[in-house]
Parts: sequence; structure tokens; C-alpha cells
Amino acid sequence: MKLTKILLAVLLLALLVLPAILPAAMVNAAIQMLIAALFACAFNLLCGQGGMLSFGHAAYFGVGSFATLHAMNALNGEGLLPTPLLPLIGALGGFICGLCAGWFATKRAGVYFSMITLALAELLHSLAPHLSMLFGGEAGISSMRSPAWGLDFGDATQVYYLTLGWVVLSIALLYAFTLTPMGRLTFALRENGHRLQFLGYNVHRLRVLVFALSAMFAGIAGGLQALNLESANYVLFDMRFSAEVVLNTYIGGVNVFLGPVLGAALMTFFGNAASDLTQSWLLYQGLLFVLVMMFMPSGLAGLVLCWSAQIRRRGWLAVIPAALSALITAGLLSLAVVFAIETLQRVFSQDYQALLIADQPWPAISLFGREWLPGALLTWAMPLLLGLAGLLVLKLARRQWLRLLDDEPAAGPVALRSRVEGEQS
Amino acid sequence: MSRAILQLRDVHKSFGEAHIIRGAQLELHTGERHAVIGPNGAGKSTLFHLISGQLQPSSGQILLGEEAIQGYSPQHINHLGLSRSFQITNIFPGLSVFENLRIAVMRKHGMQYHFWRSIQRYSEVRAQTEQLLEQVRLQDKQTVCAAELSYSEQRALEIGMTLACDPRVILLDEPMAGMSHEETDYALNLIREVTQGRSLLIVEHDMDVVFSLCDRISVLVYGEVIATGTPDQIRADRRVQEAYLGEEQCA
Ligand SMILES: Nc1ncnc2c1ncn2[C@@H]1O[C@H](COP(=O)(O)OP(=O)(O)OP(=O)(O)O)[C@@H](O)[C@H]1O
Ligand SMILES: [Mg+2]
Repeated sequence: MKLTKILLAVLLLALLVLPAILPAAMVNAAIQMLIAALFACAFNLLCGQGGMLSFGHAAYFGVGSFATLHAMNALNGEGLLPTPLLPLIGALGGFICGLCAGWFATKRAGVYFSMITLALAELLHSLAPHLSMLFGGEAGISSMRSPAWGLDFGDATQVYYLTLGWVVLSIALLYAFTLTPMGRLTFALRENGHRLQFLGYNVHRLRVLVFALSAMFAGIAGGLQALNLESANYVLFDMRFSAEVVLNTYIGGVNVFLGPVLGAALMTFFGNAASDLTQSWLLYQGLLFVLVMMFMPSGLAGLVLCWSAQIRRRGWLAVIPAALSALITAGLLSLAVVFAIETLQRVFSQDYQALLIADQPWPAISLFGREWLPGALLTWAMPLLLGLAGLLVLKLARRQWLRLLDDEPAAGPVALRSRVEGEQS
Repeated sequence: MSRAILQLRDVHKSFGEAHIIRGAQLELHTGERHAVIGPNGAGKSTLFHLISGQLQPSSGQILLGEEAIQGYSPQHINHLGLSRSFQITNIFPGLSVFENLRIAVMRKHGMQYHFWRSIQRYSEVRAQTEQLLEQVRLQDKQTVCAAELSYSEQRALEIGMTLACDPRVILLDEPMAGMSHEETDYALNLIREVTQGRSLLIVEHDMDVVFSLCDRISVLVYGEVIATGTPDQIRADRRVQEAYLGEEQCA
């Protein structure tokens, strides 16, 4: 796939020049995007490729973070492990914990597996504040990046390049893994572990190793986070982070290798952007997840593949009208939802309720740079109108899309999948 | 040489109250093709599960060569040279046909933990997979997702996966079920060919297949082997006629 390679090269180039064009404050957000992308990609080795849905992957991320911080403090970035190589310790920590936890968790499959991973992570979360030797109690532990290799790692830009290097290398390794015999077996593990046994494979051992490898790369991501923040505390083990990586991965799409990377990068970006603008980010995140699961279970990456297949078949020009109306639909509908949620959120917020005076009309709220009176009809008609307009355009978009699909041999999700993972010989 | 390569000695299996296998005795001679027939629900598949390690017998002994294998894990039994197919198609539905077979072929090359080299570089695995594809006549479908194959093609794939690890003993559980006449004929010849020099235990409802393929036949009824013999002996056996063949004529 030549186009994919070109796109990846462009992306890499863009990532390389990013710190030069971004304001310094945004560089840190970019670092977080990179880390989240690697974490999701590592998680997907277990979840999407190995078919084992872990609900406690933050544990291995956290262990990677703490391990790296301890190494920073112990070695001062000298000797065999200068600062840039410290994520190796995170990898080691993740791998060892992954081996231990994986050995138990993979004794069971399906829901039981998920529950064991959840329980183990919760165990760590509740134990961590009491193990102050390891996790520094409630306050956590902190450290300093030491200079190495002629770099002082004093500013975000240097940390950015260090992170970028590790993330690109790790994702490349994870991709290469899918092409090796063990990587192919990982797919078979997802498809039918029972049959593998009768072909002579030790399924439990295979599962443990895949688990540990996934935990190892999660540990690298954790190590990078430790290098970036120079501190960590037990909150890292919170269920919230385990859930977040699951959401990011599924929103991106588990059946395409780079899907989780896309999902995590986008969600982290929006999360960062939205945290200044709204207090309801978690709600939007959940909503997005539900919508993706309901209407495009193959995730954003599945959407991208779908459209690129159409472009390849029909050319750019033919696809533009449908794409345009799809974009307008998405825009209008999101606007409607955001409008409704934000109005409600503002009206029901405690700050606002405190302003109310009995028998007086409710004061205006500001949204999208305008003042809206809760008593005015337009304030409530607006989201309805937007939504209606969105639905109308949706109808048009649907018709255009169906026309594009016309006279095509059914390309269902299964066909999509076989193209992704099938033998490309 | 006609020493037994697989022996069942007084094997019992109960699921709770249900006593399904009741003291089964069976001997598979080295190099023979041996059919197990019997009415529906007689316990033929259960017998295969017991031999292949999916289930453990409640009591009794199963010998593969000299070794008692009851209680071994399926992969251990496979390593000892016994490979089986399933009555209910048991493949990797989301992977391509080629990938299905390659995974089956890979095992005997001992590369299950290789993570440092692209699978494309193992040319021997590739060659063997292609040969197997041709044998089961799926070379045109090699890039197709296994779930999208027709039922009989999936049966062929199932046979291919079973043969891939170069086993000494092959267990096939109704391999031809759902195949057309032409496909059955082809599969029959294929099985005859690939079991040359190996030992085969096969469950099959198609009596033409059984009588033309097999050297000996055992009849399983209610978890007991009531008769074993050459096709002619079995045809002549009164108890068999009552228990099984007679029933077929009625049907
Ligand atoms: N796990 C189980 N638990 C309880 N009963 C079982 C179990 N497995 C099989 N049985 C019962 O054992 C009996 C034999 O089943 P089995 O599948 O071995 O028959 P079979 O000879 O292969 O029949 P068929 O010709 O239909 O394939 C059946 O009555 C079945 O209901
Ligand atoms: Mg059966």
C-alpha cells in the first residue's frame, strides 16, 4: 500500500517539525498524545489481536512509571542507563508484572479474564498508598531528569523528541511483531484458542507471553510519562485510566493496527482542548464511545478504511459530495448535542443556581460567544433546529453513500477484516 | 507389523449422572484405517474427546504406543503424534484460509515463540502450506476469510489443518458430513492417500465411505464397543444389524 506509506511518512515528518511550530505549552499536550497512543497500541496487542479484554491495564502503565522513577533516583541518569534509556526499566517492570498477573488472569478466558485483570488492578490501587517504600504513599515519588548525551532535558522540546523516538520505535516493534510467527499465533488465539490446543500449541503459555509483552509496552509508555512529569503517585492505578485506554482503543478501532493510535491521539487531544472549555468532557467521551460502538463498531479506523476504499474505487471527485454532506451532518448533530448539554450544564450548575432570585427571570448564560436567556424560546429551539437540520442532511448523506456503494459486491465488516489481517501475498 | 498404536482399555466416562462411555475397548493397529460407527448419541465424539485430551476419562486407560495418555493435555497428545478433526467445524473464522493452514503447519517447525523474524522468511512453512492448500483444493480461496467459505469448504479446511502436523495417528470425526457426492469422493481419495503409512480412526455415517476406506470397523452402541471386525464380518454380525444397520434400513 503505497498511499499508506506516504501518509505515514508525512505524519512522521509533521511530528518531527511539530515543536518548531507549536507554542511551548502545546508541546506538553503533544507528549501526552504520543504516550497515550503508545499505551493504546500496547493495550491493543492484548485486546484487539490477542482477544483478551483487560480492564486493568493502567496497572502496568503505572508500574512502568514507578519503576522508571526509582531508576532515575537510584542511578541519577549515569552509568549504563543514561536518561534516554530509562524507559527500558519501565519495560522491564511492566514485563515482570505482566508475567505474574498474566499467569493468573489467562487461566480463564472471556469475562472471567476481564474480571481478574480488574481485580488485580484494584488490588494494586488499594495497596499502593500503604506501600510507601514502593509508591511513596499518598504523595507519590518524584525525581529529576539528569543530563545525558550532551542534552540537558531541561525543556519540553527535548522531552518531546525523546518521547517521539521511543513511541515510534515501540509502535514499529509492535507492528513488526504482528508479522512474526508468534504474532500470527496471537491472532489465532483471539479467533479460536481451543483449536490451537489441538494443533499442539501451549495456549496458556502463549497467552501469558502476549499479556506480558503488552504490559511491557504499556510499561514503556508509563516510563515515558515518568520522564515527562518527573513524578507519579498511586492515582496512576485508578480504574479511570484503565477504562480510558479501553475507550480510546475501541473508538480508534481494534481491528486495524493503527486504529488505537488514532483513537488515543484524538481523544487525548480533544480531552486537553475540552478541559478548558467544558466541564462535561467525560460525558462527551462516553457519548462518543456509545455512538462509535452502535454505528461503527470498527471504529474511526474502520471509517477511514471504508472511505479510502471508496476513494480508490471511484476517485476523489466522486466521493467529495458524500464526504461533504457526511461532515456537515456530523457537524450539525454534534453542535446540537453540545448546545443542549452545555446549556443544561450551565443552567443547572450550582454557581448559576446561586444567582437566581425568586420571581425574577433567570439571567442569561453565555455560550459560543453569545448570551442566551433560559426563558427565551430560541435557546431551547436552537439545539432542536440544529438537530433537525442535521438529520435532514443525514438523509442526503445516506443516499449519496448508498449510491457510492451501488453495484459493489457486498463489502461487509468481515471483508474489511480479511483485508487487514489476511495474507498479503 | 500389526501392534496396536492406540488402545482403549475399559474406558468409562460419566457426565454427572449420565454414564456415556461404558467400558469401551478399542484397538487401533499400526497402519490400519479403522472406522467407528454407531447410532446418534452413541458416544463416538465423546470417545474422540477422551482420546485427544479434551475430556478425561472417569476410569480406564488410553495407551498411545506404550504411553498412557489419559489426563494429558491436548497439546501434549498432539506432540506425541496424534491429530484430530472436529465434527463441528473448528477453525479460525476471522483469518484467511492460508493463515489457518499456515498456523497448523507452523507447529511442527517449533517456532511458536519466534518473534524476531518475519513469517514470510520461513520458506519451508510457506511451501508446505501451499502444498496442503492444493491437497484440500482450496488454493483459489487462500486469501478468503475462513468464515466466508461454504460449509463443505470449511470441512476441507478442517481436514487440511488436521493433517498439517504430520501425525502418526489421525482421528477424523465425520469429515465428510455436509459434502456433495463429488466432494466426498475427492475427500475419500485424499484421506486414503494421506493416511498411507499412518493410522486412521474415523467416525463416519456414510456407509459407502466406511466400507470402501476402512480395514476394520468397530461398532459403538451406548458407549460400548459391541463388535470389531473387517467390513465383511461387521456386515454379517447379527447384533450389529439389530443395533445399527437395521435401524438405518428402517429410517
Ligand atoms: N459435556 C456433556 N455433558 C453431558 N452430556 C454429554 C456431554 N457431551 C456429550 N453428552 C451426551 O453424550 C451422548 C453422546 O454424545 P456424542 O456427541 O459423543 O455422540 P455421537 O456418537 O458423536 O453422536 P453423533 O452421531 O450425533 O455425532 C449424547 O447423549 C450427549 O447428549
Ligand atoms: Mg459425534
